[in-house]
Amino acid sequence: MTQPPPTPAPLRLEARVLASRNEGGPQHRLVLGVPGWRGFGPGQFAMLSPGARASVPRSDPLLPRPMAIYRARARGGAAEVEILYKVCGRGTALLAEALPGQRVGFVGPLGRAFPAPAPGERALLLGGGTGIASLYELAARLAPAAPVTVLFGARSAADLMGTEDFAALAVELRIATEDGSRGARGLATALLEAALAEGGPACVYACGPTPMMRRAAELARARGSRCLVSLENHMACGFGVCLGCAAPRAGGGFALVCRDGPMFEAGALAWEGLA
Amino acid sequence: MKSAAAVDLRVDLGGIALRNPVLLASGTCGYGAELAPFLDLRQLGGFVAKSLTLEPRSGNPPPRIAEAPSALLNAISLENVGVEAFLREKLPAVPEGVVVLASVFETETQRYVEVCKRLSGAPRVAGIEINASCPHVKSGGIEFGQSPRVLRELVRATRRATSGPLLVKLSPNVTDIGELARVCEGEGADALSLINSVQALEVDVETRRPVLSNGLGGLSGPAIRPIALRMVWQAARAVSLPLCGIGGIGSAEDAIKFLLCGASAVQVGTASYLDPAVAGQVAEGLAGWCQRHGVARVADLVGRLELGR
Repeated sequence: MTQPPPTPAPLRLEARVLASRNEGGPQHRLVLGVPGWRGFGPGQFAMLSPGARASVPRSDPLLPRPMAIYRARARGGAAEVEILYKVCGRGTALLAEALPGQRVGFVGPLGRAFPAPAPGERALLLGGGTGIASLYELAARLAPAAPVTVLFGARSAADLMGTEDFAALAVELRIATEDGSRGARGLATALLEAALAEGGPACVYACGPTPMMRRAAELARARGSRCLVSLENHMACGFGVCLGCAAPRAGGGFALVCRDGPMFEAGALAWEGLA
Repeated sequence: MKSAAAVDLRVDLGGIALRNPVLLASGTCGYGAELAPFLDLRQLGGFVAKSLTLEPRSGNPPPRIAEAPSALLNAISLENVGVEAFLREKLPAVPEGVVVLASVFETETQRYVEVCKRLSGAPRVAGIEINASCPHVKSGGIEFGQSPRVLRELVRATRRATSGPLLVKLSPNVTDIGELARVCEGEGADALSLINSVQALEVDVETRRPVLSNGLGGLSGPAIRPIALRMVWQAARAVSLPLCGIGGIGSAEDAIKFLLCGASAVQVGTASYLDPAVAGQVAEGLAGWCQRHGVARVADLVGRLELGR
């Protein structure tokens, strides 16, 4: 079993908003200037607090929001850290309103990163909706050295995010939409089923809705392939003290998504207990 | 201008000498090591570790947390490593020079006593905080801290189980906090911590179900701060024990409000989730505030709330 790669100690700071762009519909791209950046592992996340320490401190909504780190570009001693997300509530709506120059509370990188595939394994990256944001960095790091197939599903073409970024990588990108407005009509898991059938053992990396990940785990198992999933959950802290992000383990008891995940071997989880 | 070091921040909390009045609240800082990447715990008065039971417990199924206006609602339940693993693995991992208080949470008085006996005399445990917000099984789920009779029995029994400093963390879900504070004082508690989270409910209108799997949860965060201040003030008028104020503290100003209402020390809880280093800033800010206001000893602020206009 491949262990998750070591990752740098998390930073806690106020990051400066360098850019905040609407990318169509509810989709947004946030670029943060993070000083002292020491890198991150693919699949790690950060806790973001919009306006937490602005000129008028905010207590409502109170909690920071966990967000996948999409990618980061080093710029001298700092980095431009990108977050790709969908506005789905008050916290993300506030984040979308952040203007360049404003500050966003930042704690990260947090959680366990995706390991590289074992020698001889194909990398199949399966993203559903916003889950694709957890997979870009992995694709970018694996692509130069090995064949990478990215399978991306969403409800419709308007819900696809970051496709141009993936297209610019040396990866094979296959798209499915439920309404057929772009790519194949149907679910991302149908793309996975086909891709698994095309060759030898694969390592499946899945991030998206729970039913998608659960199905991915079944499909991979049936083919004798490994499946790693990245869970999302509500979290208050992100570093293992609030104990709010419990996910049931296969053997009983609970794992914390923030500390023990967000990346898990699919077989380590009790899927029937996941929301 | 005098340096911040000129302000005397030391306080005594029921026999525990603290370098400053700022602690981390139980259940919000794990066993200490979790916050180490963000905060040097030696900047603080100390921390109260996650409540311990006799055996390890795994807690409630999700969802365990929900957001409420300026607040967090949680029902984690008893999840902890158990007292033995705490003593064997967690306590030795705490850096030297950090004041550690252990918190005890059980379902029966005798089990509280057993946990206290194991903690009593452990070299790194500066004191024991009894979490009295646990449902009392024999009383059909009422919290230990809600019944003067049940609380009296609990404090009496745990007092006998330890010779070290004994704090009782009071439940806010009561009619008369002063009466319960007096019960603790009468049974020999050394200090009181208050308040624990406020019992609350949040509802999902689509499913018509409670948001939390447990149904009820405990509310914490800035929304409960005025409730906590009121209860600390009432407890301070009822007893002469030192008090440790808890409830929505996220800044030095918040901490000073509690000191003025009669708390000798404070605990930072939910605010650490937003910013894991915030307690250090509260401690630093206290020194700065005292300096700007000509207060030489932070202890001089305790109970100095001015009443009347």
